[in-house]
Amino acid sequence: MTPGNSNHDLFENLRLELRRGSLILAVLASLQTEQYGYTLRKALTDHGMPIDEGTLYPLLRRLETQGLLLSEWREEDKRNKRFYRLSEGGKAIFKQLVAEWQSMNSSLDGIL
Amino acid sequence: MEILESYLRAIKRGLPRAQSDDIIKELSDDLSSQLEEQRAVLGRPLTDEEVFAFFKQHGDPMTVARRYRQDHRSLSLGWELIGPELFPMYGILLSFNLTITIAAVVVAALIMHTPIRVGVFIVPVLAQIICLTVVFSILNLVRRKFPQPWYYPPAELAPMLPVSRWYSLAGLILWATVTVWWLAVPHFPQLILGSGAAHLELAPTWHRFYVPILLLALASVAQRVVSLLHPTWTWVVPVMRTVINAAAVPILGVLMFRSPTLVVLAAGVQNTPSNEQLVENCNGLIRWGILGPWLWLYAGISAVIYAWYCIPHLRRLIRRTRSGSLSVVL
Repeated sequence: MTPGNSNHDLFENLRLELRRGSLILAVLASLQTEQYGYTLRKALTDHGMPIDEGTLYPLLRRLETQGLLLSEWREEDKRNKRFYRLSEGGKAIFKQLVAEWQSMNSSLDGIL
Repeated sequence: MEILESYLRAIKRGLPRAQSDDIIKELSDDLSSQLEEQRAVLGRPLTDEEVFAFFKQHGDPMTVARRYRQDHRSLSLGWELIGPELFPMYGILLSFNLTITIAAVVVAALIMHTPIRVGVFIVPVLAQIICLTVVFSILNLVRRKFPQPWYYPPAELAPMLPVSRWYSLAGLILWATVTVWWLAVPHFPQLILGSGAAHLELAPTWHRFYVPILLLALASVAQRVVSLLHPTWTWVVPVMRTVINAAAVPILGVLMFRSPTLVVLAAGVQNTPSNEQLVENCNGLIRWGILGPWLWLYAGISAVIYAWYCIPHLRRLIRRTRSGSLSVVL
């Protein structure tokens, strides 16, 4: 492995690590209004946070298992879709996370 | 749509059972929506190749399924031998092989009226564990080195994937080695009899099976050469593996179950109790160790699996013959 490749891999790993936490916040923020997977993914992409299905759906399931999301199957456009929205617990946690994010952001601004 | 269903079926195999239907329903809706969007953008239905390219970009079904699994079990000995993507399949195959092996040993012992002792299970069971672990460790290594390609496409998608050059090359090296070894056995019996070659020789039964087995090995070499030179001739692998494995079943079956003696004392060697024991041990080693019912079962099961993989090729062949473009397939 060349040093260039190794640096690229390292950057990629760190970037993914940085992105992982932000994605959860972005998903929770987007699900303040009810959406199904496909529209949620498009909304995130439109806001500059592209995410592939293989990452989004497992994440949604995990957040639901943790009690942050609620979901239900409903028919729309002649197809069954699973709609997600924030649960009451999810809303509370989301507020706390946003406050934490803003505080970290301002601290980082000072450091950077 | 056939390809979408095949893709989802392949993912479903790797999903946690309790949630699989739910996950597949949701993924199906998402993928259908994306395909519809692409159709709308292009203003025409997508071709098979375009649909396949879409799924290829979406990811190897096994990798997609793994993301939904909470249990990331793997096998490590300080370093990773079998990663979480392959571990579930390894577990299933190992359980299946061990069950079949133990059952086969018990049945064989009952047929031959020999006592069933723990000792008779040790060699075949260990051989299964070691062989399967080595094969999966190599597969794991290849997956880590080349993470992008799909190594385990579902049968219906396989015809659209060019045969991997690594698969062809590895198979060519393996089968060329086996062929050279087999060609050398008559001249150097120690290659199969080991140090016992001084006292033993191959029974006349071997002469009946020598050429058929040689032909099977040569056919396997030929298949790898063709796949290496023409990776897009995807039908070659399932068709030839079906034929080769199906032909191996009766040959190995007769060799295993209808040929009581595979090795005899060499001419001029005294028939002492220790030499008789040597003959018995050598016959047992070849029958249960080198060949073993597992090889016979492997050939049978592979023949069925590859025959199943031939079906989509046949379907494509018929479809394209009807539309008059046979040359595209071949």
